[in-house]
Amino acid sequence: MYKKLKPYIMLAPVMIIILGIFTMGLVLGFFQSLGYFPVIGLNDFTLKYYKEVLLDKSFIDSFKFSIYISLISSVLSVIIGVLLAYSIFQSKHKKGIEEIIYKLPIIVPHSIAALLVYNMLTQSGVLARVLFSLGFISEQAQFPSLIFDKNGIGIIVTYIWKETPFIAMVVYTVLSNINEKLAEAALNLGANKRQVFWRIILPLIMPSILSSFIIIFSFSFGSFEVPYLLGPTNPKTLPVKAYIEYTNPDLTHRPYTMVINMILTFYSFLLVWLYSKTFKLISKFNG
Amino acid sequence: MKRNSYISKVIMCVIIFLLIFPLGVVLLWSFVKIWPWPNLVPRDFGIRAFEYILNPNNKSIRILCFSVCLSSVVTVITLLISIPAAKALGVYNFKGKDFFKILVLAPIIVPTIAVAMGIHVAFIKLGLANTVLGVVLVHLIPCLPYGIRILTNVFEIIGESMEMQARVLGANSIQTFIRITLPLIAPGLLSAGSLVFIVSFSQYFLTFLIGGGRIITFSMLMFPYIQSGDRMMACSYSIVFILSTLVILLIIEKIVRSYYKGENYFYM
Repeated sequence: MYKKLKPYIMLAPVMIIILGIFTMGLVLGFFQSLGYFPVIGLNDFTLKYYKEVLLDKSFIDSFKFSIYISLISSVLSVIIGVLLAYSIFQSKHKKGIEEIIYKLPIIVPHSIAALLVYNMLTQSGVLARVLFSLGFISEQAQFPSLIFDKNGIGIIVTYIWKETPFIAMVVYTVLSNINEKLAEAALNLGANKRQVFWRIILPLIMPSILSSFIIIFSFSFGSFEVPYLLGPTNPKTLPVKAYIEYTNPDLTHRPYTMVINMILTFYSFLLVWLYSKTFKLISKFNG
Repeated sequence: MKRNSYISKVIMCVIIFLLIFPLGVVLLWSFVKIWPWPNLVPRDFGIRAFEYILNPNNKSIRILCFSVCLSSVVTVITLLISIPAAKALGVYNFKGKDFFKILVLAPIIVPTIAVAMGIHVAFIKLGLANTVLGVVLVHLIPCLPYGIRILTNVFEIIGESMEMQARVLGANSIQTFIRITLPLIAPGLLSAGSLVFIVSFSQYFLTFLIGGGRIITFSMLMFPYIQSGDRMMACSYSIVFILSTLVILLIIEKIVRSYYKGENYFYM
């Protein structure tokens, strides 16, 4: 009997925290999103708030803006990360370099990463100064505003800075575990280097690329600090919009916040589901 | 063939430069006195910002120490409850294992703001909001997945055979844990501990919301400077933040290594 229960007992402390705070937080948020918030006298379950939020144009804009930022930054991070990992892998003297590159962005939090990009890209930033001294622009105002802009360039660059090393680390680990004989065999049979990359190496690293893509996509989709620091007033990303609604002193606005949070949560679960589906599909093809 | 390797070397150097260079700019800015547009290099250097941060009257150092303590407590609790959970997930087979594995990793994927805003009212009711205990509890949520994930991998590799041998030879469960299990998982504890500490130490939003402005950590202290674009102060705070993280990581590594020096040669 004890043997059977043992793993559950060992999991109990963690489960108390996860169920008590994480799951409970989501459930309470879900109830509030349905309009059940007894603290301020809202006692009826209703879908009214979902309807209002989903039909609200500013919500749609925020949603599109969030998806756009996460998608662009994650795709670019993956491309640059794979390039970096592959080029480190190909260069001979690799000891040491990758250690520093992987560790630094992990230690630097998102707020400082935002500061790095702020330093580089504002109209008085390093890039503008370099362009000025090279004679490309003749005054500050000619430099396009890349921070607080409607295209979210500042946010995207910050995420790329932070996430590229993560992708590179994952891909590099897989690359160094790939049997070199596979590439050699392909070369022997007359494939060129490009074909070896596209036909042999890429399919082998694809599962880890996909899984890390999902992780950075969902992270940037639900993260608050960077768009709060570098984003435009309009459109806001969903997490920033949720926070602004949350700080509204009128507590009857609370359900709207929770609706946005629930939609964020729903999409992250959807991504995890998609991920496990594609993962199964890929492993089927790999045999 | 040769051209190809040149190209990849150039690509590597360019990307690495783009990753490292902004950090160099932050370091430079933290020592700036005057750096007017459009100069490429600062006109004058000074350490006014560091003097401000190090001045005991401004409480920055006290808040830094408090932050380090808070995150250390979070790290220790996370590791303590992660070890048994990771062993269960890594070594044993039981009903619902896959479900537990997903549930334990879910906090990485689900946005923390959704969880924090949902639990906030409950924390206020329970008197946990605006307290250190509340902040520690809520920090556990983003930290646990990393601790459990890394330690589960470790337990999957080492299995249970070493512990079984010790038990067969007459060691009791406490002896087995201290003499066998801990040295075996020491490298995993090191990386899990470092990562968990970093996650907790750089947490802004959770501390801000659940701490309600009463509990102030170092990452909250530097946030307004970044927000207002005060580069000199923001960069100096960032440098102090990064350096203290590095020092703590070094200390964690020293502690783990000194305890289990040379004892983990049979690991992997």
